[in-house]
Amino acid sequence: MTQLVNLPPRVKETDLTGLLKQMWLIRYFEEKVDEFFAKGMIHGTTHLAVGQEASAVGSIAVLEDRDKITSTHRGHGHCIAKGAEVNRMMAELFGRTTGYCKGKGGSMHIADVEKGNLGANGIVGGGFSIATGAALTSQMKKQGYVVLCFFGDGASNEGSFHEAVNLASIWKLPVVFICENNQYGMSGPAKEMMNVEDVAQRAEAYGISGKVVDGNDVFDVMNGVGEAVDRARNGEGPSIVEAKTYRWKGHSKSDAKKYRTREEEQEWRAKDPIARLRDVLIEKGLLTEEAADEIKAEAKKEIEDSVEFAKDSPMPTIDDLMEDIYA
Amino acid sequence: MVKEIFMPKLSSTMEVGTLLQWFKNEGDAVAVGEPLFEIMTDKINIEVESYEEGILLKKYFEEDDEVPINHVVGYIGEAGEQVPDSPPGESGAAKEEEDVSDSRQPQLEDLVQQGITDTTSERTANEPAETEATAEKLRATPAARRAAREENVRLAEVPGSGPKGRIHQGDVMAFTSSHTALKATPLAKKVAEAEGVDLKEVSGTGSQGKIYRADVEGVKQIASSPVEAGGKRVKLEGIRKVVAQRTLQSKTTAPHVTLTTEVDMTEAINLRKQLLGPIEQQTGFRVSYTEIILKAAAYSLKMHPHINVALEGNHIIYHEEINLGLAVAADNGLLVPVVKNADQKGLAALTAECKRLGKAARENKVKPEEMSGGTFTVSNLGMYAIDAFTPVINQPESAILGVGRINEKPVGVNGAIELRPMMVLSLSFDHRVIDGAPAAAFLTELKEALEQPFKLLA
Amino acid sequence: MRELTYLEAVKEAMSQEMRQNEDVFILGEDIGVYGGAFGVTRGMIEEFGPERIRNTPISEAAISGTAVGAALTGMRPILELQFSDFITIAMDNMVNQAAKIRYMYGGKGKVPMVLRTPSGSGTGAAAQHSQSLEAWMAHVPGLKVVQPSTAYDAKGLLKAAIDDDNPVIFYEHKLCYKTKSDVPEEQYSIPLGKADVKRQGTDVTIVATAIMVHKSLEAAAELEKEGIHVEVIDPRTLVPLDTETIIQSVKKTSRLIVVHEAVKRGGFGGEIASTIAESEAFDYLDAPIKRLGGKAVPIPYNPELEKAAIPTVDDIVAAVKETLNRL
Repeated sequence: MTQLVNLPPRVKETDLTGLLKQMWLIRYFEEKVDEFFAKGMIHGTTHLAVGQEASAVGSIAVLEDRDKITSTHRGHGHCIAKGAEVNRMMAELFGRTTGYCKGKGGSMHIADVEKGNLGANGIVGGGFSIATGAALTSQMKKQGYVVLCFFGDGASNEGSFHEAVNLASIWKLPVVFICENNQYGMSGPAKEMMNVEDVAQRAEAYGISGKVVDGNDVFDVMNGVGEAVDRARNGEGPSIVEAKTYRWKGHSKSDAKKYRTREEEQEWRAKDPIARLRDVLIEKGLLTEEAADEIKAEAKKEIEDSVEFAKDSPMPTIDDLMEDIYA
Repeated sequence: MVKEIFMPKLSSTMEVGTLLQWFKNEGDAVAVGEPLFEIMTDKINIEVESYEEGILLKKYFEEDDEVPINHVVGYIGEAGEQVPDSPPGESGAAKEEEDVSDSRQPQLEDLVQQGITDTTSERTANEPAETEATAEKLRATPAARRAAREENVRLAEVPGSGPKGRIHQGDVMAFTSSHTALKATPLAKKVAEAEGVDLKEVSGTGSQGKIYRADVEGVKQIASSPVEAGGKRVKLEGIRKVVAQRTLQSKTTAPHVTLTTEVDMTEAINLRKQLLGPIEQQTGFRVSYTEIILKAAAYSLKMHPHINVALEGNHIIYHEEINLGLAVAADNGLLVPVVKNADQKGLAALTAECKRLGKAARENKVKPEEMSGGTFTVSNLGMYAIDAFTPVINQPESAILGVGRINEKPVGVNGAIELRPMMVLSLSFDHRVIDGAPAAAFLTELKEALEQPFKLLA
Repeated sequence: MRELTYLEAVKEAMSQEMRQNEDVFILGEDIGVYGGAFGVTRGMIEEFGPERIRNTPISEAAISGTAVGAALTGMRPILELQFSDFITIAMDNMVNQAAKIRYMYGGKGKVPMVLRTPSGSGTGAAAQHSQSLEAWMAHVPGLKVVQPSTAYDAKGLLKAAIDDDNPVIFYEHKLCYKTKSDVPEEQYSIPLGKADVKRQGTDVTIVATAIMVHKSLEAAAELEKEGIHVEVIDPRTLVPLDTETIIQSVKKTSRLIVVHEAVKRGGFGGEIASTIAESEAFDYLDAPIKRLGGKAVPIPYNPELEKAAIPTVDDIVAAVKETLNRL
């Protein structure tokens, strides 16, 4: 926490209690979803970002509204951080017409194109070149927006990573590639699947900046991503920012987590990003304990309300099946 | 082990036999050679004798039922043996043979049988099964099937022009233009043909207007009802029915042309007078003009092989044998026993044979083989006051000779009028295979043979 | 009217559209001063500059995804793939991203892009540069598939493809590039999903695509001498497919032959044949439907073998006669 003693200007200007609220929303949303999957109330599959709230919230906190993101299969957090309504997210997971995708996308495809969320993606590494394309539009149309491209440590081993980062680099596209290194690509430990310590090291191969930040420290994420976004907006091209973090839950709903130890999990739980932000805010006198508890309660209530909203929402009809295939 | 009793095929043209009567009841003991039942074919009534010994276990058909050839009529076996409740259809033995010889044959038989079942059991219930059987086995394009549906054509009857006999739309259209292609059971078609009823005028009571026998018979009754009022109705059956069918068939397929010529019978009468004694001594029969005319006809046919022909499909068959049919009026209809190789027989032999055949015919005892194989027929009405007439060709023959009475008439002879015994010969021939000139030449030859009968010795 | 080659018609369609729509740009390998592998874009970089005639690295995955991302954010990219065989590398972006984004997102967002690519054999380029894989793409809901056979059709269909708000795969047969036809100077659009009756006839319907349209017309001219009147239909677009025109033709002729260069097994001809078999035209069929397609073999190098791998004019003539029982 020591590095937070001198908060940079970007952080000072931010609604920090709002960030805490977002992180709680993510935490409760994911836990609720976990519960519903366990109970069989939601079908399909889902990938939860519990424990990774700071990398999503911190990265997006430095964006302007016009900026865009591409997300991953573990995308609920990005979505909430980009301002999505949890009601519509929950409704989507319940397969309702009020969901972001009218119940046709589900967990892995939540998108909110108007808000600049170009969508979660079920294909590992599927977002890289979509992000470069969106960045190309910004560049060609001189729209000034920046694209944040979230990806995981596993996706950095996809060929699409290489092609897209190279292309972004040679064209100096306004895109920031944010690696949420949660240590495992499904069951594959990052340290076994690549021969470099950090994904950020790979930036050097493309002639761009690569930086590692503490993914469980929302301020560190904000600082690292903020610098990269500034460069992108200034026409200096793309960067890679690697946020080291950890997913508390398994890869998806049916994961016994045999590939890691319970001790390791406890170590990372001790670095809970939400608790860390709360403590700092209280320590800095920016928030009382009561107010912090109230934020938490609000978030919990909002998620519970979202469940009610989802349950009350109509199911799509068979007539909807063949709609929206073509524009 | 039960033994099949089946409908025998008694002639090359026989397709079905009509059961006239059973001589045995179920449960009766049957010995080999004992008559089991009597049937009527398109040519003859005949008793069918048992080939097996045992108990008559089952009779599947009643009197008046029509049964396709080779279909099982009943079973003989030991008391208590199990047999099927319903007719099993074609005899097992026959089926094997048919399969080897002609793969389409069983299917046609099935259709015939289906038609019969239609009249005896639930009609509509049989309808889909029939369609299915037809549809599955035939090779036909969808367009051909559609055309067949629309035109009420049975695809099984349509010859296919495509590979492996595949039926195309054009085949169906060609078929409809050459046939009255109405949806009717085979039996209804047969009845309609025999009754001279145009199927187009019959409204069918079956599904999609399919015509059944009863429909045809209904029309027949309406048509004839004014005449019938007060009179008796006799069912067309037996030889009468066959004659009806065959004369209609002949008149509607063969373009008939009839030539007539007058023959001076003076010399023939002399010949008969001289031969009466010797032949009676030899055979016990009196030679008649019929035999002399037969002899002259055989002689002339030998000189004119173009008349001794038959049309089979697209081929004209020139017969090597001269087998003369002799039209005989029996009680219940016309029979035509055949004198084989008439050209090789003398008048005595001809006389003996004709007398025997005529008697058998009148007594309804002619054997099937004695009524088959004719190549030319002579019909003699000379015993009546008939001068000339237009005889109907006895198919598959291509010509027939009608013989009128011998009548004294004044004729010019060497510038003088004399009374001579004159007789008119009427030759009807099928113009599809015989032209007028050769027919005229033949008739002239025949006239001269009768006027100078010593020629017959040549 | 002046004549243009197919290649010139494609270029003209792009140039005219780019002059009036700033959102349209081309990206692809060697499309700049080189002018593209087949010279389609030759001279365009001089007119439109490197911003809009974007020479890309050899990164089919990245450039296809970049096209998707750019399209999703407001551009109308035209992606040139040097050979349609390389679609294998772009496949994820076309099949898993472009085709599905709108549906997955519940009808939000659209991907108005055209993937132009030369296909087919006949140039001695052998197995990896001669394929006709259009059936793959036609199989995927969300994509449209266009296969023009003439210069006139190419220009009008390409305009329609660029105007379309969906991803369109636009196959240009290499052997068609040099074929000529009358092409109006002004812009015009041929609606996607409208087949063209290239020759009227009454005896048999041939549905042919791409180069096989030309071979079928040649066969039809030969058969005409024998009094056989062949109707030749070019569907022009496989998706959407103008089933009505084909059905009506088959109802008229009662006979159908489908001809394409693509391998017959699993080829689009099966789709057309099935469509007819399922349609009201079935009851009008008076001969089995026949398919002519490439043999199930990689396209060989040797020119004689190469020719033998796909349907010839003689094959088509023989097929017609067989269908008519005229052998």
